[in-house]
Amino acid sequence: MAILVAIWAAASEIAHTPLAPGPIEVGRALVGGVRDGTMVRALVTSAVRLCVGYVVALALGVPLGIGLARSRFVKQSLGPVVMGLSSVPSICWLPLALLWFGLSEWAIQLVVVLGAALPVAVATENAVKHVPPSIERAARTMGARGARLMLTVTLPAALPGILGGAKVGWTFALRSLMAGELLFVSGGLGQLLETGRDLGDTALVLAVVVVIVALGRASEVLLFARADRAIARRWGVEGA
Amino acid sequence: MFATAKDWIGDALVASQSPSAGRPAGRPGSAIALEDVSLRLGAPEGQVEILRGASLRVAAGEFVCLLGPSGSGKSTILNLVAGLARPTSGRVLEGEKPVSGPGPDRAVVFQDAALFPWLTLRDNIEFPLKLQGLKSSARAERSEELLRLVHLWRFQDRYPHELSGGMRQRGAIARALATNPAVLLMDEPFAALDAQTREILQGELERIWSATRKTVIFVTHNVREAVRLADRVVLMGTRPGRILHEETIDLPRPRAATDERVSVLASGIARRIASEVEKIVREEADDAWVAPGTHGGGDPRRHLGRGI
Repeated sequence: MAILVAIWAAASEIAHTPLAPGPIEVGRALVGGVRDGTMVRALVTSAVRLCVGYVVALALGVPLGIGLARSRFVKQSLGPVVMGLSSVPSICWLPLALLWFGLSEWAIQLVVVLGAALPVAVATENAVKHVPPSIERAARTMGARGARLMLTVTLPAALPGILGGAKVGWTFALRSLMAGELLFVSGGLGQLLETGRDLGDTALVLAVVVVIVALGRASEVLLFARADRAIARRWGVEGA
Repeated sequence: MFATAKDWIGDALVASQSPSAGRPAGRPGSAIALEDVSLRLGAPEGQVEILRGASLRVAAGEFVCLLGPSGSGKSTILNLVAGLARPTSGRVLEGEKPVSGPGPDRAVVFQDAALFPWLTLRDNIEFPLKLQGLKSSARAERSEELLRLVHLWRFQDRYPHELSGGMRQRGAIARALATNPAVLLMDEPFAALDAQTREILQGELERIWSATRKTVIFVTHNVREAVRLADRVVLMGTRPGRILHEETIDLPRPRAATDERVSVLASGIARRIASEVEKIVREEADDAWVAPGTHGGGDPRRHLGRGI
């Protein structure tokens, strides 16, 4: 890491152009952004959007995935739609969202939710389908059925797969959000990137990128690392 | 059904607390009857006959082994009794009442143990008790009793993947016994284990069965295993799956794995099965198969000219 930063510093020194700022300039832009509050506000705005959109995406995606796995009606009616839509980058929905909702939070949330919910649904469908039949049969012989069987047996058994989908969903949500904020200006890190471009402030642009990377890493550590460990502990390494 | 199940557990707990009761479970087995049961699966035009006209009576507390090659419908019978499948025709009875679905009075032990990987061994055993709304103190008491019964007390906090195959099967047996079922249905529970572990578990199962007096229906394709464990061996055949023959195993218990009489009876039954298996192999190999002396019983004159 330190070596990479040193190489970066050396390279920008050699290039010696404002288009390739070194780590010190980027650090300065970062500190400046934090001090005057723009960076913090943008980060909070983006993080809140991300969390809201992601929670909604999970709330839609997991039940949709269960439906796809278990209900022939849902599979036949929604299956092709889900498969088709999940290959569309969710940012393609932004124009439509803007027409529907105008320049509002709703528009950007639609993009985030669509981006994240579909991979979650597809992963959940697969995970539920691959729960070993004997696990559910065993639970049924003990008297579990219906919603209780689903909640206490099928979903826990499918958890490693669902968690995988949740991770993919998170990165999709982050990507969709950044794309949306870049195109459609209203606070957030994406907009700050756009501001940096408008001002020709490369250091600011790179500083925002650093913040986005940090956001991604932090969410990985805070949200998923613990879940991964818990699953590795229970299922053994091969199940995680 | 839940109310009665709770009563059994209640009985079991009372029984285990009273000093006179050395047995870990209070409720003995109940009788099972199949009356001319058939099962066909698939669309009406392309139906597959899984089981044809099976009739079987299992007495309360009896240990019956269903023995036969793959496709003979032995697991099907187990599923029918468990209530996981419904017969196309005929009736399946537990005691006097028809089996209408799965229930905690008929516990199943599967070949792959089917312990829940996200729960510790102890939580696995308590899972069926939780389903029935038992309080945590009552659950703890029952699970301790069962963990000790199968000698896994020290491993109660392990997750299933941290246990050996034999330990997982013992755990599955403990879980199956948790609700104090009247009938224990075992679907090739030891088939995936190595020979030594299998023999040890057979001994343990015999001991547990003697202590609890459950009705046991045990599916296997291992002749020795069937003879060692069963009061009665039910021989099954294929295409379609059906019951061929029954044989009472009248040997004293506990039986040793090395018992000569087990071997003698087993080889007798094995000969009977061989002809049945040969039939399948012949069909699958499309008559290109020549049976290596399965009929002759060792008489070399019957093989004259075969090697030419």
